[in-house]
Formats: sequence, structure tokens, C-alpha cells
Amino acid sequence: MSSLIIFALLIALMLTGMPISIALGLTVLTYVFTLTHVPIESVALKLFTGIENFEIMAIPFFILAGNFLTHGGVARRMINFATSLVGHWYGGLGLAAVMACALFAAVSGSSPATVIAIGSIMLPAMVKQGFPKRFGAGVIATSGALGILIPPSIVMVVYAVATGGSIALDPSGHRVSSASVGQLFIAGVIPGIMLASLLGFTTFYRAWKNDYPRLPKATWKERWTAFRNCIWGLLLIVLVLGGIYSGAFTPTEAAAVSAVYAFVIAVFVYRDMSIKDVPRVLLGSANMSAMILYIVTNAVLFSFLMANENIPQLIANWMSTAGVNWIWFLLVVNVLLLLAGNVMEATSIVLIMAPILFPVAVKLGIHPVHLGVLMVVNMEVGMCHPPVGLNLYVASGIAKMGITELTVAVMPWLLTMLAFLGLVTYVPEISLWLPRMLGML
Amino acid sequence: MIGAATLLIFVAVAHRYLVTIPIFYPYLFPIDLSWAQELCIYMFVWMAKFGAAYGVRTGIHVGVDVLINVVNPKVRKATILFGLLCGALFTAVIGTMGAKFVYGLSATDQVTPDMELPSWIVYLAIPLGSYLMCFRFLQVAYTFARHGHLPHHDHGQVEGIDEPHMPGTASEAAEAVR
Amino acid sequence: QSPIVIKFSHVVAPNTPKGMAADKFKELAEKYTGGKVKVEVYPNSQLYKDKEELEALQLGAVQMLAPSISKFGPIGVREFEVFDLPYILPNLDALRKVTNGPIGEKLFKLLEPKGIIGLAYWDNGFKEMSANKKLIAPEDYKGLKFRIQSSKVLDAQFRALGAIPQVMAFSEVYQALQTGVVDGQENTPSNMYTQKMHEVQKYTTLTNHGYIGYAVIVNKAFWEGLPADIRTELNKAMKEATELNNSQSAKENQDALNAMKASGKTELITLTKDQDAAMRKAMAPVYNEVGNRVGKALIEEFVKTSGGGPN
Ligand code: NA
Ligand code: NA
Repeated sequence: MSSLIIFALLIALMLTGMPISIALGLTVLTYVFTLTHVPIESVALKLFTGIENFEIMAIPFFILAGNFLTHGGVARRMINFATSLVGHWYGGLGLAAVMACALFAAVSGSSPATVIAIGSIMLPAMVKQGFPKRFGAGVIATSGALGILIPPSIVMVVYAVATGGSIALDPSGHRVSSASVGQLFIAGVIPGIMLASLLGFTTFYRAWKNDYPRLPKATWKERWTAFRNCIWGLLLIVLVLGGIYSGAFTPTEAAAVSAVYAFVIAVFVYRDMSIKDVPRVLLGSANMSAMILYIVTNAVLFSFLMANENIPQLIANWMSTAGVNWIWFLLVVNVLLLLAGNVMEATSIVLIMAPILFPVAVKLGIHPVHLGVLMVVNMEVGMCHPPVGLNLYVASGIAKMGITELTVAVMPWLLTMLAFLGLVTYVPEISLWLPRMLGML
Repeated sequence: MIGAATLLIFVAVAHRYLVTIPIFYPYLFPIDLSWAQELCIYMFVWMAKFGAAYGVRTGIHVGVDVLINVVNPKVRKATILFGLLCGALFTAVIGTMGAKFVYGLSATDQVTPDMELPSWIVYLAIPLGSYLMCFRFLQVAYTFARHGHLPHHDHGQVEGIDEPHMPGTASEAAEAVR
Repeated sequence: QSPIVIKFSHVVAPNTPKGMAADKFKELAEKYTGGKVKVEVYPNSQLYKDKEELEALQLGAVQMLAPSISKFGPIGVREFEVFDLPYILPNLDALRKVTNGPIGEKLFKLLEPKGIIGLAYWDNGFKEMSANKKLIAPEDYKGLKFRIQSSKVLDAQFRALGAIPQVMAFSEVYQALQTGVVDGQENTPSNMYTQKMHEVQKYTTLTNHGYIGYAVIVNKAFWEGLPADIRTELNKAMKEATELNNSQSAKENQDALNAMKASGKTELITLTKDQDAAMRKAMAPVYNEVGNRVGKALIEEFVKTSGGGPN
């Protein structure tokens, strides 16, 4: 009963269009003041301690690193490299765009940033080459979504933070600890490469069917030059993933190191950015980080309320007595997340849903890392369809296309992503194999 | 703030690695950077609280605007005002709770674990940030009620990207493989 | 009439000595008071995390906790850090002399101005050192990175050995040892075994150099507001729960040592008398260094009672 009231209130407040963070906070306050004997002091306490967590600090660091990379010339060099490798196949620049998105995704933690970084260069180039605009926009909007699946990923950090410390018991009653940022990052590698390949294949197939232009084949020397030019960007992949896997850095430290690294290559190595631009990037990053951290604070309050009312456990027990197995549960989860993807952006969805879904999933025998990857793929799909789809907005801004037109344009790739979502949902090994092989699970 | 925090953690990590190299050990060992993490966290807490207030002014806080964008303008205006006033209410309540909490703390000798700063100073960020945020919400609500203007942040835009010079680089990209 | 509710929050699993003792206290307290008191135990940081729980207790959001003794520094009672000093407690008997005697009482008295009343001391056990390198002489520690829990005394202890202390959450230690973020750590055998640390540490030196313990505390206003007869019953229940905790933790540490030995994954090293003396000597400066923090008179009195200390 109480859970229904909590959710009804939350949804009602959110639909008025007020900031999600405020809706979360007001729901908690209303509930605490009227319906429960949770001492109000503990709410105050949680407000203070909610973001006093070193893991969360990876978010601002990755945002900062991403912003340096986005206009630090890294994207351009990655595009050149990708183009030199696959430009001569069917789909040419389109295929190169998918690959460049995948490469950029491996240094940036955000999807819209990937769309901007690659799309703002690639889209005009594709149109110039004779590709239909909608084809280009479709490729970019969907491939950009790789930004949160291929590590590093801000959404994965958010998932780790949102589920961290919550109590989850497996089917036999043993406590299962939540997924760490490092585990999630490594787990994202294989699904990321798979989805990139699938999107590439869709691009290739459509280009082959419609006989879109191809580029002349680059020589090995040209490829080598392009590779050498983007080596600084590629090294960042090694730095972040290698650093986390080898244990040289915690994910937060890796994020801080990559921000410094991105700054150095943007300003001193590639010199596509001058020192004058730095304050603006810092301010923009701080503004964006503050917004996310503010949602996190209030979401922590909300999930404390959930835990205090024992809601996830109640759902979990109800599900297991009702005989819901993991197959049905994940189907419901997917539908729920896809619906949520219609109205909210990724960070908020994960912050609100993950603490509730996590104990239930674990109780049904689902691995925390698997659930995390699955949620991330869901978020990717959500970013690519209206009415709320950040990637679509960004792509429409770059392509100067209407959202409706773009919605049709992304269809083939979106269907590919949905098929991939099914695969990730029901083949846990896609997510679990690599971290297990590396002894991280 | 974000820049300083980044540098701080970078230095702390660099220190951790360099100190294990024998020739640096004697110089770096006496430097104790165990407070770096804590300082970084508190810097971000302050940044987040005041940044959130700044964000109200720049309209960066995201909401679910699907529904209110399809209702008639009059209802829409009323709903948005309601949302803004809720924001003001929430931040006022939090600010007051925070102020009480900080006042209670200032009477104790509570300090932070690593730097041993008085806790109440660190936690001052909550009431100050919340009241400032409340003020911003009221400001935005007032402007909206009077002029119907609402700050809006374009989330599609990553700060600092200059679109105009992109087409040039685009042709370079295509040319690179010729 | 509805019962008096005691919310007892702790940060470990129910099947640990502390968790079992908390449950035992619940059972006995409810029995002895004839149901006038209801104890709700929240294990696993379900309600409050390590960092939050003391503030939550002071605010009255929970009534009972069992935090690690070294957590009292940040609320302004640094005297408890005396327990962290290396080699200050030679054995369990010495510990009991301290905690059951005037020092234990005096330390608890220091909590009262903070709105806290101490009820009992609960053991976790004595700490051993571990690393992937043989740790015998003090020089062996030089340049190695050791995980510690946040404590100025422990920081000073490893610095005295020339090692680099790294504060880290308990839950992250296994991964950090496995990947080499830190080289070694100090802990009780049962903590090491339950976190599987022995699988990623080639050598464990049985130094017994330090002690980890908890204090069971209650909110002062709440406690003093209870009828005297109820308090008597609760104290009785607490006494029995304490006995259970202490016997259980002693047993688990012994079992853990045996299991670690049987696993063959870590080599257990016992120091000779001379080697032990060398370690004591190397760590002796810590006493001076933190003397002003913890209180020189207290340290002296403590050493006198326990018969421990650097020499
Ligand atoms: Na990424
Ligand atoms: Na969507």
C-alpha cells in the first residue's frame, strides 16, 4: 500500500514537469512527514552523506574528460583513422562513423557527447559524399549510444552507486554484493563491440542495398599516418581500461587521470583548444556535474525511503512466491525500462529503478553485473526514440532535421538495437564472460 | 573547483606511484596525501550544492516535460509555476533542516575523519546552497509569471563546441583518405 | 501499552560474532523485560552506513550501535585511539583488565557529553600483518603500501615502519590486494578469512600487534529515560550477549587461522622473540607521536594496567 502511495506521488509530481530531483525530494519529505515514523533527522543526515562517496566523484571527472575530448581534436583524428580503415567498403563513411563512435565511446562516458563529437564532423561529410541525410543521422544517433555501453560510462557509475550498499540475497539466501564500477566497465567491452558490429552490419547492408557511395581504398601508409595521429586518443583507452583492470587506479582515480590527460592532449599535444577555452569547459562541466550530483543526492534519499519501507524485499518475496522466474522478470524489466525511456533520461531512470530492481533480480538469481549491462542497453535504446531521446535531439540539432523525420530515419538501427537487447537479456554470458575470464567476478 | 579537485586526485595518484620508486622514496615519503580524497569529496559537495543553484538559473535541471508540452497554454503556465514553487518549497525545507542540523553540529566537537575540520563548516554547504537555490527558484518563477520566459538549457549542446568550424574539418576528414 | 522500541543498527552480516551477539541481545532483552522492550536489529548497514551511524545515534534516529572503537575520534573523543597503539595489549587477559576496570569506565564517561552511553566492549580480535612479501624485520615493510582503516594512529604506525598507509573501505580490500593497488594489510584472522584475503596474500605474519574491538553504545537521553528496572534487565541481557560475542570471536579467529593454514594459500609466519622485539622497537616512536592526541597520562595508565607497550 505504502509503496503505491510513494510511486503515485512521485509520478504525479514528475508529470508536472518539475525537475526530477525536486520531485524525488518532495516525495520523500511528504512521505516522511505524513505516513511513517522515520525520524526526520535521518533525512537531514542522508542529505549530507548521500554524495559523500568517492565512487560518485567519477561522474564529474568523466564529464570533464569528455568535454576536453569533445573539442580537443581527438574525435577528428579518430574519424580519420576509422575512415582510412573501412571507408572503401559499402557504406563507406557510414561504417567509418560507426567505428569512430565506438572508438570515441571508449574514451568518453556519455552518449550525447559521442553523438556531438562524431556527428558534427561526420554528418556534413556524409551528406557531401552523397549519402541521404536521414541515413547519416540514423547512423550517428544510434551509434552514439555506444558511449554508455563501451567503457568508461557515466551510466554504469550511476548504476554502481545506486545499488552500492543495498542488501540483496540470492535464491539460497546468501548476501550478494553489488557490482563494482570496474566489473561493469570490463563487462561492457564485449557487448559494446558486439553492438558496434551489429550496427555496422546494418549500415553495410542498407548501403549495399541502396548502393551508396564508397571511398577509394586508403593505402597502408595512409592508415599508419591516421593511426599515428590518433594514438594519443587511443592511449587513453589503454590508460582507463588497463588502469582499472590492472588495479593501478580505482575508477574514480582513472577518471581524474583521464581528465588531466584529456586536458593535456587537447591543449598541448593537438592544440585544437587554447588555454582561453579552459574556464568555459570547466564551468560547463561543473554545471552539468552539479545537476547530476543533485539528482543523485535526492535519489539516495528516495532509495533510503524504499529500503526503510522494505519495498524491494516485499516485491522480491511476492515475485518468488508468485512463481515469477527470471525470464519473465527480465521481460517485465525491459518493458518497464523502455517505457521509462519514453519520458526520462538515463541517469534518473537508473537512479530510481536500479535500487528497486537490484534486490529483486538477485533474489531470482540474476547476476548484478548482468542486470547492470542490461539496464545500460535499455538506456541506449531509450536515448534513440522519442518523445524523450537525448541522442535524437542532439542529432536533430546537427542534421537540422525534425524529430519525426529522424524517428523514421533511425528505425533500422533501432530495431537492430532492440534485437541486441533481447540477446543481452537472455544470454548473460555476453556480459559475464570477460570479467569472469579476467577473474573479476 | 572541478579543475582543482581533478589536479588534486591526479597528484595523489602520481604520488602513490612515484613513492614506490626507490629514488623518489626519500623525498616523497614524508608527504602525506591521505587527506586528498576527503578534500576532493568536500570540494565536490560544495560544488554540487552551489552548482545546483546556478543550474536553476541556467535551466539545466531536467524534468519530464512530455505531458505539459501538450496541454493548453494556460494549464501549462500554471503547472510550470506550480513546479517552480514546489522547487522553492523543497529547497526552503531542506535549507531549514540543514541549518538546524549544522546548528546542532556546531555545538559538538565533531570533526571530519582525515583532515579533522569541524564538521559543521563542511556541512554549511547544505543550508547555504539550498537557500540560494530557493532564491533562484523564486526568481525564475517571478520572471516566468511576469514575462513568461523560462531559462532553458540545451542538453544536446556540449559546452564549448563551435559548430561553425566543423564543416571545414569534415571535408578534411573526407579528404584524409583520398 | 506499546513496547519500548530499541533500534539496534550495525554494519556487518548477521552470521558474524557481532551480528549473532546483537540477535542474542534482542532475544534476551525481550525475554527478560517480558516483552516491554522490543529490539529491532538492522544488520548490514541497512539503515545507516559506517560514517553515518554515530550521527544517527546522537540525533536519536537509532538507539543502539556497536561501532568500531576507533570511530570515536571524529566525534571528538580521541582517547579511544589508545586501543589502536601497536603492542599496547599483550593478550586478552590484559584487555579485560583494561575494559572491565577503571580505564574502560573512564573512557565510556568521555562519551556522555556527546549524548552517548557506553554499555559494553565487544572483541573482534588481534591483528596480524600480511603481504606478498615475507614480513619479518621492520625493514621488510619499507616502501610497501598497506591498507588501513581511517585512523591517525594506524597511519603513524605504518609510517614508523617506512610503509605507505592507504585508507580504504573494508569491502574493497580483497580487490585492492589482488590487483596490487595495495601490497599488504593488517587484520584479524577471521576478517582476513571471510574476505578471502589469504588467497591473495602469500605471507601472513602472526604479529598480534594490535587489537580491533567494538563498543556497544546507546543514546544517552533514551537510556536515561528508561525505567530503572528495565535498564537492569537490559544490562543483564547485554552481559550475556557480550560473553557470546567474545567467545564466538575467539573461536572464529582460531578457526580462521586453522583454515588459512589448511588452505596452503598463505604461509603463516611466527616471529622469534628477537624479531618481535625489533618490531616493537621500530613502532615505539608512535607512542610519542600520538601522545598529545590521545593523552600521555592515559597511555601511561593504560600501559601500566595492560602490561603492554613498546618495550
Ligand atoms: Na564510453
Ligand atoms: Na526515449
